[in-house]
Amino acid sequence: MCGIAGILYKRKGASADIGKSLIDMLDGCQHRGPDSTGFALYHEDAKDDEFRLRFLVGEGEAAKQAIDRIRDKLAEFQAVILEEENVGSTYRVLVRFRGDIQRFSYAMEHAAKVISIGRSLDIIKDIGGAHDVDGTYTLNSFTGSHGLGHVRLATESDVTPDRSHPFWATGFSDVAIVHNGQITNYWKMRRRLEKRGFEFVTDNDSELIAVYLADKLAQGSTLEDALKTSIDDMDGTFSFLVSTKDEIGYAKDRLAAKPMVMLEDEDLVAIASEEVSLNKLFPGRALKTYEPAPGTYRTWQRSI
Amino acid sequence: MATIDLASVAVREANQRIRDLAAKGEDIEVVNPDARHHIGVGLVRPVKLRIRGSAGYFCAGLTDGPRVEVDANVGWGLADNMLGGSVVVRGNAGAIAGVAIRGAEVVVHGNIGSRAGQVMKAGTLCAVGSANFMAGYMMYGGRIVILGDSGEKVGQDMTGGALFVGGRIQSLGTDATLTDMTEAEDAEIRAFLERYEIPFKGKFQKIVNAGKHLRYPRTEPRVRVMPYTVAASNDYWNARVREDIHVKAEIGRYRIRGYGAGRPLPHLTDIAFRKDVSAFDVPTDVIERVNMGTTLGDRFGAKPISLSMPVMIAPMSYGALSKSTKVALAMASRLSGISENTGEGGMTDAQREAAKTLIYQCLSGRLGWNIHDMQRAEGIEIYISQGAKPGLGGQLMAKKVTKEIARIRGIPEGIDLRSPSRHPDVLGADDLVIKVEEFREATGYRIPISVKLGAGRVRDDIKIAYKDGFDYVSLDGLQGSTGAAGHEVLEYVGIPTLSAIQEAMDALDEVGGRNKMPVVLMGGINDGVSAAKALALGAHAVAMGTSVLIAGGCIACLQCHIGHCVVGIATQDPEHEKRYNVPVEAQNMHRFLEHVRWQLAAVTHSLGYTDPHQITRDDLVALTPEAAAITRLPYVPTRRDGPVRSVKQAAAE
Repeated sequence: MCGIAGILYKRKGASADIGKSLIDMLDGCQHRGPDSTGFALYHEDAKDDEFRLRFLVGEGEAAKQAIDRIRDKLAEFQAVILEEENVGSTYRVLVRFRGDIQRFSYAMEHAAKVISIGRSLDIIKDIGGAHDVDGTYTLNSFTGSHGLGHVRLATESDVTPDRSHPFWATGFSDVAIVHNGQITNYWKMRRRLEKRGFEFVTDNDSELIAVYLADKLAQGSTLEDALKTSIDDMDGTFSFLVSTKDEIGYAKDRLAAKPMVMLEDEDLVAIASEEVSLNKLFPGRALKTYEPAPGTYRTWQRSI
Repeated sequence: MATIDLASVAVREANQRIRDLAAKGEDIEVVNPDARHHIGVGLVRPVKLRIRGSAGYFCAGLTDGPRVEVDANVGWGLADNMLGGSVVVRGNAGAIAGVAIRGAEVVVHGNIGSRAGQVMKAGTLCAVGSANFMAGYMMYGGRIVILGDSGEKVGQDMTGGALFVGGRIQSLGTDATLTDMTEAEDAEIRAFLERYEIPFKGKFQKIVNAGKHLRYPRTEPRVRVMPYTVAASNDYWNARVREDIHVKAEIGRYRIRGYGAGRPLPHLTDIAFRKDVSAFDVPTDVIERVNMGTTLGDRFGAKPISLSMPVMIAPMSYGALSKSTKVALAMASRLSGISENTGEGGMTDAQREAAKTLIYQCLSGRLGWNIHDMQRAEGIEIYISQGAKPGLGGQLMAKKVTKEIARIRGIPEGIDLRSPSRHPDVLGADDLVIKVEEFREATGYRIPISVKLGAGRVRDDIKIAYKDGFDYVSLDGLQGSTGAAGHEVLEYVGIPTLSAIQEAMDALDEVGGRNKMPVVLMGGINDGVSAAKALALGAHAVAMGTSVLIAGGCIACLQCHIGHCVVGIATQDPEHEKRYNVPVEAQNMHRFLEHVRWQLAAVTHSLGYTDPHQITRDDLVALTPEAAAITRLPYVPTRRDGPVRSVKQAAAE
């Protein structure tokens, strides 16, 4: 019940206005999801032993307590805080950490609700429209090479920041997903992954896709292969976009029940639920777009 | 030529200007369209509309007559339900291009997305490029010309019409077959291509319906008329159970029949008023003492539907019912100052004239659906499902698909019509938002848009309806009747009306929507007392179908699907319909409805109120543990035994 958007600039060393582009694209399809808006952004200055963590901590006293718990937990894992910030209902921290990221992630979840963990990934999501979220988190000036965005129409569960998208692949660094649709074999797939020791922190099918793909990547699959098998393994209706620190990709179910439109040229690839989002990037221009075929997938790598 | 710049004008205002300019016969150019939705929706004049760029969803949808040109691409639902005129798109089209067209010419120079021409009835859809999967899905008529490749499953479940493919046929859909084309057909297509300046030298392959799935192999046998009272008896091997086994032994498939569930279920009759209303004298002028006026549908500023009491006629189709019956219902609705609803089969002039307030229903097959009737309705209702068969579309057996019914619905005559189970353009709550907006654009935001929901996942569905901007919801429980449905579905799929209203209110409370989006409850509500209980449980109004039909002569024989209705109600046979005396039955229905009014007034007055909307759940008790469990009302089965006393008194004792 939503709209999705993704963009990647192909040029070498491209440091484009990713924040502004995503805000525009999401603003264009806000009618598909007026309740909440989210962004998956990738910072350029990633270091091997530095991780960005963002938690949902709420406000006031609750936030204070959550932040204390997070600090304790970080200390327990010998993670050294390099930067920290309490913004909106979130707490963002940059830490130096060497160790098993999966174990670290699961432990952090016990301190407070984790939104994302990654060397370069930072997920920002909150209730309201694209401009509302930008107002709180100042995303307009964010530059980078790629990112994803999502607008949500909450139909079944509540309008809360933790139920907003994008979703992070719990336990894996830097993998994010935005998804429009419904995975009908959710529990079957989830139990399979849980048997292998993965933990899920929501009942959202988007988290499942993210963990599924991240697991494939961790096993040495390319993103392209992971997307290919996802089309066979996932039942239901879906159009989703996935991003890692160097790539974005899409997959679309065989029934094409959820829309997706693509624009690609030498400089960029932009994908959205509707062309109106793409036109927001290029107002007044007739674009050469196309709709990816049902049951297809593709990935794009940024030039480093 | 007038120019409208969408960089500075919102689509809603632009469409109004387009309509105003078109009324003056002026051609229009739209600049900076930037793929916005609903451009040109609701246009019914033969003017030129040029869109200089890309358009979004439902470009030129719900139109008749304009000649539209789009310089670049279009989104989903190009030319939705276009009756006449033409659209030429220079780029690509998204999914369901030419959906439900009924005579228009639609040309796409690029490729077309999946399910192109779904449920189209007449006209031509032409793709110069290739199609994606299931082109011609469930089409009833007209032609689709694809110069490129066909896509997978071309002609899936088509009923009528033909597809002509110039490129490769990737695979044929269920019940589609290749056939030879005539020279005349070939010449016609080439003349069409020439007219639109499309060069093509190749050959065509023609695809039509193979005719294997149009009729059930065995029809339902005629069975002895069994009164509902016998059919609904609770015995283990009752007459109905035995009959059902006999019929299935003969036809070897699920059995189709009319009417609703025939088994005992918790219902409004399992609820009583806390106060013994019989202890009160009802004054002769009780109707004047109670304010019954009810309005519906002004949540977003539309002109509300105004009812003289919180009662509506439930949606029932011309097709399932005879034209005479629909006219009688319309007359009765006018006499009683309430609303009539077209149901699935479109609107007839006679029905329109007879009813003062007429709600026009849009179903998945878009049968009889068109912009002109939308614009002359007082309300529009998008049907998702009904209580008797949630998740399924309508069924109309061949006997009832007469020439006249086929014409108004735009389908081939004499097929066992199974309407699609879902809308071509509503695959989720996000699509539904855009669909509702299209209806509002087409009717200038003047009339209420409601949604009809069969009780299934009520909690989720109600929240979606609330989010998606409907003016009100028509909620239909399992006890609702139908003209034809599979027996198993009728009996076992839906959830009871009582559960439905409770879940609906819980859902609205969860999203803070109580009192913001009214719910009209239906499904086995058969008198004013039940109506009062429905209102107490949170409904804003009720709708009555079966009870009004019974008032108007129905003998409840459950054979609606056969088409031989002996009283002339559920039939299209002129010999049978002759027996139906329209003015007399309209009066009978009217008198029954007036008694419903009296009952509602009497209950309201006895409970000490002046408006039935003042009755609340605090006025109710449950008489059975089941009803108490469903509604969370106090279980007070002994209420009728003791003297009249308030709950406070009872508690004190």
